[in-house]
Amino acid sequence: MSRIPGPVRSAIVVGLIYIFLVGVSSLEAGIKIMGEDTQERLFSAASNPIAALCIGILGTVLVQSSSASTSVIVGLVASGALGVDDAVPMVMGANIGTTVTNTLVSLGHIRQSNEFRRAFAAATVHDFFNVLAVAVLLPIELIFGLISNTAKAISERLVGASGTEWKSPVKAWVKEPVGWLKDLWEAAGTSGNVQGVLMVLTGLVIILAALTLITKNMRALVADRVERSVNALLSRGGGAIALLLGLVITIAVQSSSITTSILIPLAGAGVISLRNAYPVTLGANVGTTITALLASLAASSPESLTVALAHTTFNIAGILLLYALPFARDVPVKAAEALAAVAVERRTAAVAYVAVAFIILPLVGVAVLG
Amino acid sequence: MVLAFFKGNSGDGNFDHIVSKAVGMLGDARHSFDLATLALLADTDPTAVADDIRSTDQRINEAEQELRSELVVHVSVQGNADIGSVLGFTLLLKKIERVGDQAKNILELAENGVNLADSPEVEELLADRQTASNFFAEAADLLGGPDADDDAIAEYGLRVNAMADELQAKIDDFMTSDRPGREVVPLAIYYRYLRRIVANLLGVVRTSAEPLPHVDYLEGGTVDTDD
Repeated sequence: MSRIPGPVRSAIVVGLIYIFLVGVSSLEAGIKIMGEDTQERLFSAASNPIAALCIGILGTVLVQSSSASTSVIVGLVASGALGVDDAVPMVMGANIGTTVTNTLVSLGHIRQSNEFRRAFAAATVHDFFNVLAVAVLLPIELIFGLISNTAKAISERLVGASGTEWKSPVKAWVKEPVGWLKDLWEAAGTSGNVQGVLMVLTGLVIILAALTLITKNMRALVADRVERSVNALLSRGGGAIALLLGLVITIAVQSSSITTSILIPLAGAGVISLRNAYPVTLGANVGTTITALLASLAASSPESLTVALAHTTFNIAGILLLYALPFARDVPVKAAEALAAVAVERRTAAVAYVAVAFIILPLVGVAVLG
Repeated sequence: MVLAFFKGNSGDGNFDHIVSKAVGMLGDARHSFDLATLALLADTDPTAVADDIRSTDQRINEAEQELRSELVVHVSVQGNADIGSVLGFTLLLKKIERVGDQAKNILELAENGVNLADSPEVEELLADRQTASNFFAEAADLLGGPDADDDAIAEYGLRVNAMADELQAKIDDFMTSDRPGREVVPLAIYYRYLRRIVANLLGVVRTSAEPLPHVDYLEGGTVDTDD
């Protein structure tokens, strides 16, 4: 992989993005093939916002990528099976779920107390920020629709009102291969719900495979630049610039998990402080929303763009509330430090935290409220 | 620093930048060694060079810390493909940092009132000083060269080891010498520092070519020149 010349790798990435968009469109087409009754049964659990939040967490933990899970959510909204109001808590859940990756990475330092304390704090500061952002913004969203209304307003200015057909040029480019996939499953003798499920599964596989390969290739393409930028960050500290750096790196590698996971060994080794790593993770939160925005280009409804924009709006609003305001800025940092202190004393508490926060609680949420 | 991301690739994936800074650290260490030995072996007032040596040592320490950070970043970002080189550079930087400390130790001898300018061995001491100082420059050339030159490294190793053996023999002789302790103890301590300095310089050169050297460790300790 590393011997592929840069221009060739760039061309591969462009091809993979196209394949990714085919996957999103295939998912949308598959859901549309299923009847309305099936769609209703499948997504009824999402009508409760807490259950939808938990589905977002679980789905993202399962695929270890909020880019993938939010792209799927965009595809579902595009198909009409999922409403914007139900999808917004899901993308908030995706934000929480994606932090599991760097928390798992931090567990790799569990044998060295001081290293583990720093690494675990650097990982969980992202968790605490995202949980706090949801705790503050989800109620506001449910009462006032702040996030979704803001996203709708932007979306309407860009592509038109909800409920209309958006003639996305990208959609036209991917229409033909999606038609081939449909023909393939028809030739295999499937129809109705079975064909719909197969189209959805094909779409999911394509999305996951394409995103994995995009991330891998982009990482190889920009690794030297990332290294140079992180070195610059270490010599000049954190703040808004670190936030911007997290944003840029994440857009480049199409994965917030990559960006935040790079920070964990650095934090563990004491090379970067928790306070300097923290804004980088916030930038990564915003940067990762680019993938869902990209996915919405392959969808046919303005609502899909609205949901993608809601993901971006939510993360920016979270930063404005919890990072830009000085009194709130230290809350996730102190919470992460306190949890890391407990985790160092009782290593099992760290493992229990991951299991409870990312699997058990969301499962209970879906089971009880879904 | 965000703009650093958009600048053209400067080949951060290789270690040219680390090598270049390590060569600079060797230059600083040589500067400290030259000044400290002047204070011990000539009539230079130790107080006149102390600040320069200490600030140079501080600069070496800061460079070592900065470069080790960069090596950790390299592994975090690029993965473990270069782990052998990263380990080698970590060791190499530590050795240069030690040389800086040992130059400071020589200064401390002078600050404690030792002066060997009137010693019967002064000519020999000054010749050894010049040889060791040249070893710094050769180490920098071998480290900063385009490719590891195994023959040149081997030849350098022979000369450094010969000097280290010679210094050790002198130290051993002092153990049973009839000369007064006030004469031989400072000399023995200085030779010990000098031996450690040249051994570390050889370690720097060898580590640059072979991150995990076998030569010094795996022959029953009989040829262990590393300090």
